[in-house]
Amino acid sequence: MNARSLLLAVLLGLPVVASAHKASDAYLTLAVDGSTITQRLDVALRDLDRDLVLDADNDGLLQWREVVGRWSEIDRLTADGLALSADGAPCTAGPAGPPALETHSDGRHAVVTRTWRCAGAVRQLDADYRLFARTDPTHRGIVRWSDGPRGGTAVLVPDAGPRVLVDAVTPPAGWGSLFREGVHHILIGTDHVLFLLTLLLPAVLVRTPPGWAGARAWRPVLAEVVQVVTAFTVAHSVTLGLAVFGVVDPPSRWVESLIAASVVLAAVNNLVPVVRHGRWKLTFLFGLVHGFGFAGALKALGLADGLLAQSLLAFNLGVEAGQLAIVAVFLPLAWALRDTVVYRRGLLPAASVSIALLAAVWLAERALDLSLLPSA
Amino acid sequence: MKALWLLAFACGAATAAPFVPTDADEVVERLPSRLVSPAERDQQRALQQRRAAAPTQLPVALQAARAAIDRARRSGDPRELGEAQAALAPWWSLTDPPSAVRLLRATVRQSQHQFDAALRDLDVLAANAPLEQRAQAVLTRTAVLQVTGRWAEAEASCRDLGGAAFAPLGPAVSMSARVCRAELASLRGATAPAAADLAALSRATRDDGLRRWVDLVRSELAERSGDPHAGDRYREALGDTPDLYTLAALADWLLARDRPADVLPLLAGREDADALLLRLAIARVRTRDPAAAATTRLLADRFDAAALREDTAHRREQARFELDVRGDARAALPHAVANWAVQKEPADALLLVRVAAAAGEPRAAAPVWAFVREQGLADVRLGAARDGATR
Repeated sequence: MNARSLLLAVLLGLPVVASAHKASDAYLTLAVDGSTITQRLDVALRDLDRDLVLDADNDGLLQWREVVGRWSEIDRLTADGLALSADGAPCTAGPAGPPALETHSDGRHAVVTRTWRCAGAVRQLDADYRLFARTDPTHRGIVRWSDGPRGGTAVLVPDAGPRVLVDAVTPPAGWGSLFREGVHHILIGTDHVLFLLTLLLPAVLVRTPPGWAGARAWRPVLAEVVQVVTAFTVAHSVTLGLAVFGVVDPPSRWVESLIAASVVLAAVNNLVPVVRHGRWKLTFLFGLVHGFGFAGALKALGLADGLLAQSLLAFNLGVEAGQLAIVAVFLPLAWALRDTVVYRRGLLPAASVSIALLAAVWLAERALDLSLLPSA
Repeated sequence: MKALWLLAFACGAATAAPFVPTDADEVVERLPSRLVSPAERDQQRALQQRRAAAPTQLPVALQAARAAIDRARRSGDPRELGEAQAALAPWWSLTDPPSAVRLLRATVRQSQHQFDAALRDLDVLAANAPLEQRAQAVLTRTAVLQVTGRWAEAEASCRDLGGAAFAPLGPAVSMSARVCRAELASLRGATAPAAADLAALSRATRDDGLRRWVDLVRSELAERSGDPHAGDRYREALGDTPDLYTLAALADWLLARDRPADVLPLLAGREDADALLLRLAIARVRTRDPAAAATTRLLADRFDAAALREDTAHRREQARFELDVRGDARAALPHAVANWAVQKEPADALLLVRVAAAAGEPRAAAPVWAFVREQGLADVRLGAARDGATR
């Protein structure tokens, strides 16, 4: 091919090529019933012709006999193109059913039915799809599975490795479970809880010339708590959203280190107040970092493509609910104890010192990749 | 939306009953290969066999990939691009593949509308590759930059192509540089000198392929500047072996001139290419052709199937389908907006302006008008479309 014809090929093809046709898809239906799976796979005849050369007389037309006569090879090709395993053990593919066809929007498809047998009742089903991996990597298998009342769809990429379809072991990541994950994450996230408590500790006190004293009026106390909690919420929601939608993706070691640093600084600020008024600004700044931490947890759950916004909302609402629960338990207690010497002279400095020390160790561990504390 | 498509698929798959033909001689599928000569089919199969036997032989892989890309260009079939990718599989994911592979990878990716990925490869090639591949890369890069609306960079890239470095490759490269320079200048409104230069180029070249390309650029220029003879230009560019792009462009010109009846004979028998089927559907709807409903249904099925695989390369076509076939401007709007975010050809601008006007949301076309202000796009159709004067 000379330079010019290649030049022209590229330019003339540019605006239309990808839009002129539908790409290659196969339609896979899997119905699970106990330990057996009924499969129906619709594969385009033109894709089969490319791999198997069905058009024996080479006239560009496929006669029915050219398909029927090669059915055993179609059976083998499609059987090699899919592996199913249940709970880690491979299922066995039965022979293909009788030859049949179906019309789809891009032409005729061969309909390959077969029954798979698995070792026991299927709890988790993995599909390893490899059809046409070596001849058309842009091919996709569109699978619809059902297991009693449950079901779902997925787009299978050839040679992308096993993909979990049915999963009765772990609950599906629906709205409710994402909400619970959000609550769970803040309640077990010691660093987030400590950050919040450290900020709330002095909220029930006022600073007087000799030292801390219990607040007299509840309104300013509540106002400050609302300010701090709101600042934290808004800030971490912003960065959580940015990270989940892939706008920014800071390295997790930096994020985790900065979260530890934020706890240290908040605790030190209780002992040696640098920021006294408008602590919400400090909270907002560090809240941004905590949001990236939440995003890491949310991403680890594996989100459904296309439902990102809903998943994000459910998870974040869970985080806020967990946070409010902490405030709701802590604030009345702190209010009741605010005038005691123990709270002012003991709890506030002791807790702040311990939190600062603990967070300093986290910071060292996370920033320097050390292991100083026994792992939880 | 997605849930609806999945539901449609679920229902379709559940109710569709497979059938078994009764006659062994019944033709059950017409393969795309029927459009080429038996000799070419044999050649294609021989090449596939050689590749299957030795998948890591670079020369064989390159030959197979080039042949597949060439078929994709003629048929517009994305499966051919998949075959090109398959041929290059041993090198496809390398960060630093041989430059011949890199060039073909970029070609496949830009054809799949993965413009950023294509540009990454083209930038490398434009900086450092054997001369002929570099020329090809610079020209492709110019085209991608132009399509994505990065005109200043496209102009710089086009200037590179006309530079002395490529002189040893002969007049084909310097002529290509003249074509891209004239086209970019005309997009910014310098129509007359560009038209004159292109006319001179068309007369001067004896190469039929180059002449048809120049004539296509001249046709589009004429259409943008409101020349009533643009249709004659398109017919000249068609020649006797019409290609998809020019056919679609001529059909669009006829539709814009309210001559749908002329589109029917032009595209008869070309239903296999979705781009042409779309124009045919518009023409059939406007002429109240009895086949309009069936064509609309077939197109809708293909868009639904593409949505199922989360394919987003069809936004331009889908917006036109919603607007011009189904007459649903509100459904067309998100597709036209998303398309404009990726592609910025005059046709994309016109589409968004038309859709926004028809949907009663002219502000949705604000990005187009900002582009017109900033880049200086000159196209008489835009103002007319905003005022609802054209369809």
